[in-house]
Formats: sequence, C-alpha cells, structure tokens
Amino acid sequence: MKAQTLLAATLFSVAISSPAWAAGDAAAGKEKSAACAACHGPDGNSVAPDFPKLAGQNADYLSYTLKGYKTKARTNAIMNGQAATLTDADIANLAAYFASQKGLTIKR
Amino acid sequence: MKKYAIASLVLLAAASGAAFGAGDAAAGKSKNSMCAGCHSIPGYRTVYPDTYQVPKIGGQHASYIVSALKAYKAGDRKHATMRAIAGSLTEQDMNDLAAYYADAK
Repeated sequence: MKAQTLLAATLFSVAISSPAWAAGDAAAGKEKSAACAACHGPDGNSVAPDFPKLAGQNADYLSYTLKGYKTKARTNAIMNGQAATLTDADIANLAAYFASQKGLTIKR
Repeated sequence: MKKYAIASLVLLAAASGAAFGAGDAAAGKSKNSMCAGCHSIPGYRTVYPDTYQVPKIGGQHASYIVSALKAYKAGDRKHATMRAIAGSLTEQDMNDLAAYYADAK
C-alpha cells in the first residue's frame, strides 16, 4: 500500500517535472547571446532582412530550431557551426532569453 | 536609335521586375487561410513529427519569409505540412504573404 502510494507519487512528480522542453534561464541566455547578436541583433530584432528576427519567438520553437541545427537535421552553413558547441542548457537559456524580448507577433 | 530601344527595354525589365518582386500585403491577407489555421492560434502546437509551438511569423522580415517558403517548397527544409503548403504557392503568393506577415500588427 505504502509502496504503491510512493510509486504513484514518484511517477506523478516525474511526469510534471519533465516537460518536453526544459525551461531555460533568460539571464544566462543573455550572457551567451553575444555570438547571436552580430546577425540577429542584441535583442533578437535583426536589422538585416536575410537574418530572421528571434525576439519574442516561442522558446520551444527556438530550442527545436537550434537542436535541428546542432544535429544537422536542418542545414545552414552559418548556423550548423554556431549551434555545434551549444549544450542543451545553453540552448534552453538562449531560447528563454530571445523569447522574453519584444518583437514577433501572432497575426490573424 | 537601336541603343535607345535596348536601353528602354532594359529599364522596362528592371522596373517590372521590381514591381513583380514586391508583395502586396492586402493580397497576402486574402491568401492566408492555409497559414492561419496554425500560425494565428496562440500556443498552437505541432503534433507531427515533433511537438513544439509553431513559430510566430508576424513582424518577420519579408525576404526571410520568402526564403523559408522557397526552402520548404524545394525540400531543403523538412516539414511535411509546410512542404505541401509551400509547394502550392507561386512566387507571387509567397511575396504577397510575406508582405502581409512582415507588418507585426
């Protein structure tokens, strides 16, 4: 009985503590973002039209994108190199930082 | 005389090329029904092949939107739904949609 309760509690806490994407630390992401700023702008609002704006983008989409570049599931000469050395924590932190900036919107 | 004719032809081609390249935001708005089902819903998630919130595209650079759509159409960017949708778009459709979405409001 006790063991069952414990097991249920453990499974429940694992379930709630394992979201599909780990939540990042925006402040740590900002410190890591200098390399991004050169093309995407310091807050992710890029000026050059060939480089996408990142400001306000969904954090889990940013993580998905960076992981895709890291594994080369998505190919881009610049981004494959940039993402290669990022850890999962770096990716989550960068995603949290750019997602917290004001920029992109949802249009009807 | 011939020179003038060639020069005016070149000028005409340049001018009409620019006009074609520019998107029409109003036309884009009338073509966005396929986009809106996912990109207009806050928090909307893809379910296949990966699960994540679909990207926000309001306020994105028009030229980046066009390059993304072309990459989906060509299969350089892999996403089954986006490949199918982009595959149905002409270059003018892409330019119009990009002009519509480039305005963040």
